[in-house]
Order: sequence, then structure tokens, then C-alpha cells
Amino acid sequence: MDSFTAITLAVFLPFILAGILPVVEKLLKNRIGWYAAAVAFLSLVLVAQVAPTVIHGESIQGSITWIPSLGIDLSFYGDGLSVMFGIIVSTIGIIIMSYSNGYMSKREDLPRYYQQLLFFMGSMLGMVFSANLIQLFIFWELTSITSFMLIGYWRNRPMSVYGATKSLLITATGGLFMLAGFLVLHAITGTFDIPTILHSESMIEFIKGHELFLLALILIFIGAASKSAQGPFYVWLPNAMEAPTPVSAFLHSATMVKAGIYLVARIHPIFSGTDAWFILVSGVGIITMIMAGFLAFRQTDIKGILAYSTISQLAYLMTMYGYTTLHHPGIGVAAATFHLLNHATFKASLFLVAGIVAHETATRDITKMGGLRKEMPITFILATIGALAMAGIPPLNGFLSKEMFYEASYEMGHLLGGPFTYLIPALAVLGGVLTFAYSIKLIDGIFLGKRPSHGLPEHIHDPGWTMIVPTAFLAVLIILFGLVPSIPSHYIVQPAVESILLEPVDLHVQLWHGFTPALMMTIATFILGILIYTRYDSIAAWQNRFNSRHPMLSVNYLYDATVNNAKNVTFGFSSRMQPGNIKTYVIALLLLMIALFMIPVVFLTADIIPSTLNFDIPLYEGILFLFMIIAGLGAALLPRYVPAIISLSGLGYLVSLLFIYLSAPDLALTQILVETLSTIIFLLAIVKIPQKFREHVTPAVLTRDLLIASAVALTVFVLLINATQGIVAFESLSHYFIENSLPLAGGHNIVNVIIVDFRGYDTLGEISVLCLAAFGVYNLIHSRGEEE
Amino acid sequence: MTTTITKTVTKICLPLVILFSISLLLAGHNNPGGGFIGGVMFASVIALTYVVFGLDYIKSFFDPDWGKWFAFGLILASLTAFAAIPFGHNFFRSAVEFVHLPFFGEVELVSAGLFDIGVYFVVIGSLLFIFKNVGDDE
Repeated sequence: MDSFTAITLAVFLPFILAGILPVVEKLLKNRIGWYAAAVAFLSLVLVAQVAPTVIHGESIQGSITWIPSLGIDLSFYGDGLSVMFGIIVSTIGIIIMSYSNGYMSKREDLPRYYQQLLFFMGSMLGMVFSANLIQLFIFWELTSITSFMLIGYWRNRPMSVYGATKSLLITATGGLFMLAGFLVLHAITGTFDIPTILHSESMIEFIKGHELFLLALILIFIGAASKSAQGPFYVWLPNAMEAPTPVSAFLHSATMVKAGIYLVARIHPIFSGTDAWFILVSGVGIITMIMAGFLAFRQTDIKGILAYSTISQLAYLMTMYGYTTLHHPGIGVAAATFHLLNHATFKASLFLVAGIVAHETATRDITKMGGLRKEMPITFILATIGALAMAGIPPLNGFLSKEMFYEASYEMGHLLGGPFTYLIPALAVLGGVLTFAYSIKLIDGIFLGKRPSHGLPEHIHDPGWTMIVPTAFLAVLIILFGLVPSIPSHYIVQPAVESILLEPVDLHVQLWHGFTPALMMTIATFILGILIYTRYDSIAAWQNRFNSRHPMLSVNYLYDATVNNAKNVTFGFSSRMQPGNIKTYVIALLLLMIALFMIPVVFLTADIIPSTLNFDIPLYEGILFLFMIIAGLGAALLPRYVPAIISLSGLGYLVSLLFIYLSAPDLALTQILVETLSTIIFLLAIVKIPQKFREHVTPAVLTRDLLIASAVALTVFVLLINATQGIVAFESLSHYFIENSLPLAGGHNIVNVIIVDFRGYDTLGEISVLCLAAFGVYNLIHSRGEEE
Repeated sequence: MTTTITKTVTKICLPLVILFSISLLLAGHNNPGGGFIGGVMFASVIALTYVVFGLDYIKSFFDPDWGKWFAFGLILASLTAFAAIPFGHNFFRSAVEFVHLPFFGEVELVSAGLFDIGVYFVVIGSLLFIFKNVGDDE
């Protein structure tokens, strides 16, 4: 199998195999989680097949024609960065889906859950392997949509719905900004193809000198920041914690939120090396890193702490990718890429531990916990490994990448010089100190200290192996990556770094590398971290006091106010547009019809009523018309429903009689049948509504209605006269069908041939509408009953 | 509506009208008729029996799920639309074939006819689905 096929299959198999999940559920019952894990494993194998090529510094590319007129193909591009993301997504996917077997209750709607997880995984893989900006955008938004569904998995909980809506509004809107940025980039380069831009130095130079450069960068960065919960957009991530915990571990810590980081890394070669890149990416990163780390203190929900820590850790990555100067375009790239991998391992493992704890204690409130180490020894060990890795304790993998972060910050500070020499390293250390403090809080708050006397179930124990093994696997990775960093750095991180920097890189990561400034910074972090931890509760209390004193000083307040105002405005608008009074709608429609037909006729036609009219009507047709007029008047004037309806349907039958006179048996037949059926349905419906037919009508309203009715009659009259005898605006289409219906479609009945053959696509649409109308009637009838 | 005369007439009409609707459906390609008219005719006569004999009485021994009828029709129509693609033709390309059958003589088989049968079922299914739901409504 060639590499392009492998990537295409890795992306689309999750979608296809998720599609048949309801069938698989019949066979496997509630063990379909293992099926989903197997699908993820398949994707991993396919991605891994591409890895050897990529490790040698080559890239893979291929495409299938999709929308040639717009220059958009279904095309995939695999380099070190995509493969690293592909491996992270599919590996964490296997872990999450296996873990879910233990976490999700058998009573849950498992097919929906796993289907959405697999859809998400496919979209994420599609996103990272996209070679085309438009395709990248489509998969990007697909991850937003699947995330929306998964956050709102428990549909009847208001907070789930709130969190899901919030995440969709923020990330999807950000995605639209990103799309606008891509279009600006297209305006500069004239291509949507990512490798074309990446591999052309002249084009990159051209982009950097272009006047739209800043606009493109800002628009794309808004997309990345909203997805990765950076800057003011962070507010959706804490609410996304309403999702089932495995989902939070998968989407909202290890993979989906890293899509923004992926985008920043992907466009790094194009935009970095400029002041704007450093100020925007590192600036937003540093502010988010410190704010989120600080705000984590106030959280009492363990998933809340993890959410803020995720925001803060993602901000680390942003900051590092942002480190750039004109001559050193990628100072923090290696550190960021390595930390990205490490963060996926330790944060996912911490979320899984949080899931275990919540599963066993039935609460996520850290203030109600304590002293669980004796009852859950295995969980305690796994949690400690994860939290210490996050805090940056050697010899775990978090320590290594944090050292590299400090190193990069130190270098960046020195390259910038001036006040930045100490400011940037100091801010980096501050971020590390906050991380250290809340990491320790997780262990201390849940597992150490004394068990609270009430609020916890009596018997708490470690969970079954389905939940332990996946978590333990991550813990093993944390230790392995820490002790033998050359394995991940050589096989995964180095190719990724090379594909970001577009040049060969020799990456050496070691546990011990002497008394460097980075080591000093680490030691300072531990000391300050312990100091701050002693004041942890008072800082949290201060934050709570501040919040209750200034409730309007928060992004959440802004979000809620905006959404509520939007709701009110649109509600007011739609209640004016749709007052529910049928007469209003009919009047609007009729007036529009009069305007649409009469304006062109009056302005474009010399004589509105052609002079060649032939008023020579045979007597029997005249009598027919007379009856039609009587029936029409009857329908309008009769005082009760049933006679009025009968009169109306009489009019219909008379019209079909007219069709027979005009030798159109098809139309006559159709008219009779439709008239019969509609009369019956009309009568059935009418007997059920109050029989008060005549409402009181004021003379003014009556005059208005009469005027409109007369105008409509006049319009139809003018239209018919012009259509049959007056000016012909276009050549009639019927000649074509008359000539071609037999030779092309083999039918003598032209009307039928048009319906089923020439215009078959239209008919398919029409019968689909008919089915929808049937469902609509069903819903109208049945939902009305519920409201009462 | 439930006089003996209407009941008797309906009983006689029912099979005739159904046969006529089928003949309209099949003749549609060359003579007046087609899936739509045939479907409406079928639906009308069933509606008539519902009205004359009472919905509940008819339902006690004849109660198909009309929703399935229109689902079947829509699937059939969509499949015929797609059927040309595996043979390398465009979406909605139709085929005409003349077959000589022993009893009927020369018979024209048109793939568009299958599409028309789909239309027939959609029309019957959706109209009677609406009719039954409106009629059932308390």
C-alpha cells in the first residue's frame, strides 16, 4: 500500500466504520467500545506505516480531483508534524475508547457516543493531513461540530447544553475568521495548497513583504486562539468539562484543543521571523499562561482545575512557537513540539484519573475529598506520576520539556536584550510556579491528608482493569519518555521539528545537562512553587472575593450578555416577522407577487392588453365560465365552512371540465383527483376546528382585502393574456420536449417524460419535499398535543 | 356519507379504481397517466373507504404503515437515479429496452418507469400518511 492510500484510509476508515456501528452493536451489544478502539488501532497502524518515510525527512503528497473549477482537490500531505499529530490522535484514541468501556454505563446511548468519538478522530486526522487550506477548514469545523455533540452528550442537562453551545459559538466563529484569513492568504499567493506555499522560499518572502500580511496573520491566529482556548476565547473550555470525562481527556486536553497549536506550527514557516508573529503569538501565550494558571487556584472541581491547567499549558506551547527573531526564526520550536507530545501524555492521564476518582466517589469537588491514597493506591500512584510530570519534577517527561521551555525563554530574552533579558525568563518561571502549585494541589487535595468525615461513599476502591490499564499505559509513557528521551525525540519530535523549520535538525534531549540557567530557573520554580502552595487557599479565597465584588469584570459575563442580547433581538425580530396570523402572510405574499409581475409588465410592455385579443367564446364554454364565477362567489360568500368548501371544490371540478374542453386530459385527470383528495382532507380538518367562520370585519379591512383581491385578479389576468397571446419574452421551451421526448426518452407522453426523465432531478426533489411535508404534518399534529 | 348506496358503490369501485391507478402508472410513459396521477388516484380511493367505512373500522383489519410506503418509494427513486453511474453514465441517465413477451407482445421497458413507480409510492405513502394522521387526531 502506498503512503497516500494509507493516509486516505486512516482518515476515512473511522467515518465509514463508525457508520456501521449500529449494526456492530447488534453483535457486540455493550462491548462496542472495543470495536471503536480497534478502529483507532487500525488508524494508528496506517499512520505508523507512513512514519518511516517521514523520519527520513521526506514528505508524502497526493490528491484526488474534487472541485476542479475552484482549484480545490481532496489532497493529503504528510510530513513530520502531521504524522506526530496523527500518532498522538490515534494512540490517545485507542486509550480513550478502551477506557470508556469501564467508564460509560451500559445504560448510556453507547452507539451515539462511540460514533461521535470516531467521527471526531477521523476529522482530526483529516485536519492534520490536509494539504489544502479549504479542506483543512472543513475538517477543522467538523472537529468543532463533533466536539459540540460530545460536550452536549447528556442532552437533558442544561449545563451540558450551555457548554456545548458556548464551545460551538466560539470555536466555529473563530473558524470563520480563520477561513477569512485563508482567503486573504489566497489573495496574496493565488493558491490554497499548503505544500506549494511551504516549499517555495520566494513565495514566503513575498508573503512577508505583502501589505495584507498582518491581516492574514491576525485572522488565522484568531482561529487558532479560539480553538486552543487562548486569550479571551478561553471561556469555552472550562464549560466544556460538562462532557463525559473520557471525552474531556481526548478532545479537550490531548487532541482537539491542540488543533490551534497545530495550525500555528503549520503556518510557522510562513509567518515567523517577524515582530508581529512574536508580539501576537507569544504575547497572547504569555498572558494566557499566567492568567489561566492563576485562575486555576479558584477551581474546586477537579476537572475545572485540569481545564485551566490545559489552557495554561497550551499557552506554553503558543509562547514557545511565538519565540522568534529575524535571524533565529524558531527558537522555541523544538521545546514546544516536545512539550506538545509530553502534555498529551500527562494531561490525558490526569483526566483519566479524574474520571476514575469521580466514578468511584460520585463527586468532582476537591474540597470534599482527601486521604484517598489508602483506598485507591493504584490510582494514587498513577495520579502522582501525572501530576509530578506536569509540575516538572525529574526524571519525568514534563521536567525535560519544561527545561527546554526555560532554555528557549532565556535565549529569547537575551536575543531581545534590554528589559526583556530578565522579563521573559521571569514570566516563564511565574508560569511554571503556578503550574507547580496546582499540580501539587491535585495530589494533596485528593489523596493526601485526612479523609473527610462525611460526603464520600463508605467503600471506595480502585476501579477495574479496563480503566486502570489505559491510564497506566500513559503513566509508563511518561516515565519512559523521561528516562529515555532519545526515543520520542528522535522518532517523533525531530521529524516534526524539521518539517516546521524546513531544515535538518539534530535534536538532543538529556536529563542532565549541567548547571545551566534553565536548571537555576527550575530550582527557583520549585522553591517559589512550594512557597506559593502554602498560600494556595488564601489566594483562591481572594479570587472569589474579587469575583463577587466585580461580577462584570469577566469574559464570561461579556459572553453571556452578548448571547442573551442576541437571543432577545432575534426573538423580537422573528416575532415581528412571524406574527402567526395567516392573513398577514398571505397579504405579504400576494403583494410581492403583484409587484414582481406587474412592475416589468407595466414598464416593459407597450400595450398591457394586446389588441389582437379574440373574445369569440363558444356558448358552452361561456356557460362553464358563468358557473365558475358562481362557484367562486359561493366559496367567498357562503356563511358556513362546509358549504364554502363544497363550493370551492365545485370550482375545481369546473376547471377540470374546462381542461377537457381544451383537450388536456392529463391536466383534467390530475385536477379531478387532487380536488377530490384535498376536499376530503379539508373537510376532515375543518370539522375539528370551531365553526365560527365569520369574524367581525371592519369596513376599512374589507376595502383593503377587496383591493388586494382585485389587484391579484388583475395581475393574473394580465399575465395570462400576455403569456398566451401577447408578447413572448422567451422562446417557448415546449418545442424541445416535443421533438426530443420520443428519440431521447422513448415516451409519447411528453408531460410524463419531462417529469420522470428530462426533469427527473427536480421530481426527486419534489417527492422528497412531499415526504418532508408528511413528516411536518405528523409533527404539527403530535407536538400540538404535547404542549397542551 | 355512510348510506348503503355509498358503501355499495365504494365496495365495487375500490378494486376497479386500484386497477385503474396501476394501469395509469404503467401506461404513463406513452398515454395520459403516470406515477403522480396513479398515486393520487390510489390515495383517493383509500381515503374514500376510510371516510365511508370509518377510519377505525378499516384500521381494525387493514392498517399498513404508510410511512414505509413513501420511504420505499423515495429509496427506489433515488436508486434508479444512481443506477446509471456504475455503468459510466451520468446521474439520472435512463435506459429504454423493447422486450418481446409471449402473452403481452411488444413491451417497452424504461428505467424511468422504475423511477415513476418510486414516485407512485411516495405519493400514496405521504398523502395517506397525512390523511391518516389528520383523521386520527382527536
